[in-house]
Amino acid sequence: MIISHFQQAMVNISSSKLRSFLAVLGILVGSAAVVALLSCGQLATEKALAQFKAMGTDLISVSSYQKSSSSKGQEQNTISIQQWRQLPDLIPKIRQIAPYSTSYQPISYQGKKLSGAIIGADEVLADIIKIKLQEGHFVSFVESYEHYCVIGQQLAKELKAVSLDNVIGRQIRIGQSLYTIIGVAAEWAENSFFNEDVNRSIIVPIGGIRLINKDAKINNAIIKLNNDSDIEETVEKIKHYITQRAPDLNLFVRSAKQIISRMESQGQIFTILLAVIGGISLVVGGIGVMNVMLVSVTERKKEIGIRKAVGATNKEIQTLFLMESVILALFGGVFGVLIGLAFTWIVALFFQWSYTIYLLPPIAGFAVSVATGIFFGFYPARRAALLEPVVSLRSGI
Amino acid sequence: MSLIVLQDIVKQYQIGSTVSTVLKGIDLTVNQGELLAIVGASGSGKSTLMNIIGLLDKPDSGRYCIKDKDTSGLTSDALAHFRNRYIGFVFQQFNLLPRLNAMQNVALPLTYRGDSKSTIHQRVEEVLSRVGMLDYKEHRPTQLSGGQQQRIAIARALVTEPEVILADEPTGALDTKTGHDIMSLFKALHAEGRTIILVTHDEKIAKQCERRITFSDGSIIKDDASTKLGSSELLIGEA
Repeated sequence: MIISHFQQAMVNISSSKLRSFLAVLGILVGSAAVVALLSCGQLATEKALAQFKAMGTDLISVSSYQKSSSSKGQEQNTISIQQWRQLPDLIPKIRQIAPYSTSYQPISYQGKKLSGAIIGADEVLADIIKIKLQEGHFVSFVESYEHYCVIGQQLAKELKAVSLDNVIGRQIRIGQSLYTIIGVAAEWAENSFFNEDVNRSIIVPIGGIRLINKDAKINNAIIKLNNDSDIEETVEKIKHYITQRAPDLNLFVRSAKQIISRMESQGQIFTILLAVIGGISLVVGGIGVMNVMLVSVTERKKEIGIRKAVGATNKEIQTLFLMESVILALFGGVFGVLIGLAFTWIVALFFQWSYTIYLLPPIAGFAVSVATGIFFGFYPARRAALLEPVVSLRSGI
Repeated sequence: MSLIVLQDIVKQYQIGSTVSTVLKGIDLTVNQGELLAIVGASGSGKSTLMNIIGLLDKPDSGRYCIKDKDTSGLTSDALAHFRNRYIGFVFQQFNLLPRLNAMQNVALPLTYRGDSKSTIHQRVEEVLSRVGMLDYKEHRPTQLSGGQQQRIAIARALVTEPEVILADEPTGALDTKTGHDIMSLFKALHAEGRTIILVTHDEKIAKQCERRITFSDGSIIKDDASTKLGSSELLIGEA
């Protein structure tokens, strides 16, 4: 019976092709919108999360700022490098700590002025935030007072444009001093967890940062925790430790896990919002199907009467019409999902995101469009089913 | 044996505030194997009576039994089932479905029975050859003449082996010659023992039937069977 209903519904759909096509188009646009918006939302969230996940999630970033009103002694508002390095001994959850300092000084290379940040750091930072070296080696704790530096990829390109040969061993002027380039960092994936863009930075040994700027303070640190540490608790301990030693510092502590979970929940809200927008266009498509089906019922009143006269029950008439709207929605759903995925692919290509097909958006898009077909097809089908046979047989059409 | 028994059937229509009584207490018994013509001017109520006999419409009061089964109080699904089992319709305008070919049109009542495909196919070919239309089985209604369409429609009415065939002005849309052919077909079917009720306003058609009921203003004013078969009062009394 279902098969024969399906065949008859197909006959009817193909007999009014343009109208069926337009109804399908409405659903198609709706389900394509649902699929594309959901997929793009998910891709965007994943893209944003990827940079954090690459570094690992057990990271804490600590930044401190001197309170401007503070006029007390130096010791009240700074943490020395030794104090930073004591942290892992006092708080066992800390596996690694990379204190770093940033400052800004005029930079020049063979007379050409360049712009970039100067980071005082050691190997641990390279390890935690994954700075790989293209050439040479990283500045080391042991070389604290040597005038050595490592330059970021972008800066290295600019230097090469000036000198046209290998920059290793060359000297670069930072403020008043000359520094020898001992390493070039490979392209570093930008990460908002770290305050500076490594690609545009010069990294010098942290111990010698005051050689560049005597007021430089070691205000920041990236901390890597052991797996499964209680982040909240550790953050509180770190805050407590720093506040004890430097009560005048304003502290700003972020944990990668917190950021990720915040981004994920924001991503969810974003995705839901997009799904709602897609859903609205699907509802519009559904109304289109309903309209087409209502016209179809009116046009086929006589047919309904004939079918009832030869023994069709109300339910069979209802199934016949419902089948038609479901078939329209199925077509719209299938092609909508394909077009939605294609659209996502184009968007991903455009923004250079890695393209992944998530299972949820196509399934959701398809299911919702079929549900739309049933929902909006139900009323016309019910109307057809409840027509009085005498009345519909008498109708002129 | 009485197949259709109508007792005191009343049907009223309300148009605005005025109520018009279309059927004013009809008593009628139709026996198995009869060829019955219902004649009357348009508006006399004969089509309404036909719709009630065909279970397409319900009377406001009175009793209607078909094959000793009371039809009052049946649900719309049960009525659909009764129409499918007991009644074959032939309409003035043929009423074939334009999107289906001859075979699919004839098969339609059987599909609502849930018969198997092969059973339907076999039965459809049988009735199509009975009405002489087997060669046209793939044709669509628009590719057929009026007479041919009516033959397909008769095949559709026959395909379920109904107890009674109801034909509402079956020759009304046909020319005289074709109309005559269709009447011959009905008479042949009658000769095979089928019960046929024709509604017509054409006296020539009515005269070819062994029993004629004349309708006027919602009542039966003449039943020619009374002269042939004795007394119609007697038949009504039996029911």
